[in-house]
Amino acid sequence: MREGNVPFGYHGRYLRIDVSTGRADYVPLSEATLRQYLGGSGLGVKLLLDEGAASMDPLAPEAPLVFAFSPLVGSPLTTSAKFAVVSKSPLTERINDSLASSGFAIAGKGCGCDAIMIVGRAAELSVVIIDDAGVRLESATEHRGKTCREAELALKTRLGPSYRVASIGPAGENRVRYATISHDGRHAGRGGSGAVLGAKNVKAIAVRGTQRVEWAHPKELTELSRSLSKRSFGPATAKYRELGTATNLLTFNRFGALPTRNFQSGTFDQAASISSEEMSTTHTKTRKSCMACTIGCEHIYSKGGKGVRVEYESLFALGSLCGVGDADAVLRASQRCDELGLDTISTGGTIAFAMECVERGWLDQPWLQFGSGEAMFRAIEMIGSREGLGDLLAEGSRRAAQAIGHDSISIAPQVKGLEIPGYEPRALQTMALGFAVGARGADHNRSGAYEVDFSDKVDRRHVTLDAVRHAIETEDKAALMDSMIVCKFLRGVFEDFHEETAEMLRYVTGWDVTAAEMHDIARRIVSAKRQFNLLAGWTPAEDTLPDRFLNTPLPNDPEASLSRERLDGLVAEYHRQRGW
Amino acid sequence: MHVEFFGVPRQRAGTSELEVQADTLGHLLGTLAAQIPSLNEIIDSNRLHASFVANLNGGQFVTDPETPLRDDDYVLILSADAGG
Repeated sequence: MREGNVPFGYHGRYLRIDVSTGRADYVPLSEATLRQYLGGSGLGVKLLLDEGAASMDPLAPEAPLVFAFSPLVGSPLTTSAKFAVVSKSPLTERINDSLASSGFAIAGKGCGCDAIMIVGRAAELSVVIIDDAGVRLESATEHRGKTCREAELALKTRLGPSYRVASIGPAGENRVRYATISHDGRHAGRGGSGAVLGAKNVKAIAVRGTQRVEWAHPKELTELSRSLSKRSFGPATAKYRELGTATNLLTFNRFGALPTRNFQSGTFDQAASISSEEMSTTHTKTRKSCMACTIGCEHIYSKGGKGVRVEYESLFALGSLCGVGDADAVLRASQRCDELGLDTISTGGTIAFAMECVERGWLDQPWLQFGSGEAMFRAIEMIGSREGLGDLLAEGSRRAAQAIGHDSISIAPQVKGLEIPGYEPRALQTMALGFAVGARGADHNRSGAYEVDFSDKVDRRHVTLDAVRHAIETEDKAALMDSMIVCKFLRGVFEDFHEETAEMLRYVTGWDVTAAEMHDIARRIVSAKRQFNLLAGWTPAEDTLPDRFLNTPLPNDPEASLSRERLDGLVAEYHRQRGW
Repeated sequence: MHVEFFGVPRQRAGTSELEVQADTLGHLLGTLAAQIPSLNEIIDSNRLHASFVANLNGGQFVTDPETPLRDDDYVLILSADAGG
């Protein structure tokens, strides 16, 4: 314990900023709260619950948005430069926690706080500046309409290169319900945190802090950090380091698990043409790392012009899901989403849904056809600006389906309003459960249940109730990683995840934390998210999948069939094992 | 039987697929390691390193080296971590 009863690794307070008034207060955080919720997602959810955010309109001035750091930020532990953005989602009306990486985490924590909470609505488009001189709002009206990257660079030019900036693009300003918050080319991507910031008239947060925390056992922490870094160069991370997540595409296609043409198929006949393996032969590829990361998972492809970061989720959502097999069209669309500040998964999911509605004659937009890269790009522009059809699609597939009618909700690719990532639920049925029960909706980052499907623990197309405990384990593990915070791409290097993360926490904080306590913390954080959702109006009927997945087997793979009865049984067992 | 490689195993193998004669999974992996030395990074004593998995005929994932294989089987070798 440091002076003033502040635990090592923490500042023991958060910064609450009301952008309506410009008032900023440091609010103490008790040691009990920090030990129970750690940081990141866990701490963010706890602060939202305390603020009564569950019952608020997420786009109302009073709704809080939290940037939460963690006890590991600033430590030499690899991948620890991460932060969580936590709020009620304008897309799902449920809890939303999305994570991003790099210098903003270090500079933000350096401002002497474990989290920054933004409430209120600024009188004009503004930038919130936090540095050693204090907190102030400055006009950002000259940055209206700028892309995420343009705004970040312009503000760094204006304020100085040592500031770290998290910004929204035009999509956030226009309150697109799946707008992102961007920093250093990465995005707190899912659930619409960019719209929440946009609704506060805040274009960006700029931080520059130099306040450091102390570590309880610095020598042991340094040794552990060296060991972890060394292991991060091994085979467990080779996929991310050498190929990036994009290499999933051909694998998933081979397993019939690649969502295609709005989940009408699990295979895409043009998968090879948009694969990273093919693009490596036609484009120049470079690698990049987040700050304080030894993995270096970012693979950037270019062909003469500026490079585009390629991830599996963007390739699937803007490629196979929309039936687009032109790699350059997919890269261009992905880049445009990054510029506008749009979540690529929800963008691709909503456009693919609209394309199928056009195909079925439910939506009179004949230009919006599967397979047309130009149509997809046009739709992205319209979404970012909310012009024409874009105003409807900016609401996400669930709200769009409610407006379109024709039982289109049965083919809207979402759970709780959040568009489904690139894992075909009928072919990966433990993941289907993970999607159905996810607190923030269909989500591959809060449930790693696909790991179970790609193992000998289950038969992925015929899962039984035995899969439930495995799905819960991955969800608990994700809650810990998102609160500690360490990157999920490290998970393969741990031999005993709970013991090793407890060791990290002991060296950082000095607490006598054990693996058993880590299990308890994970369950507490998952329960806190559920508590938030209950207060926000969650009902058990939300823990399901769209009818499409429960009525129709996958074409070309009749074994990939999931009935409503079976999914309901898995969900009921999940609730029973959770004790809910 | 037919062997297909994905991701890092494909890089190490230098090919996307090949034909191998073997009657068990362990035999298959041992044969592959002997034929293609660069696969030794992912194959250790007739077993795959924990970061990699094998799948039989697109259905069950298999780890037991004694798993019997038939001539018309196909085995897919890929990274265990499917995270994206």
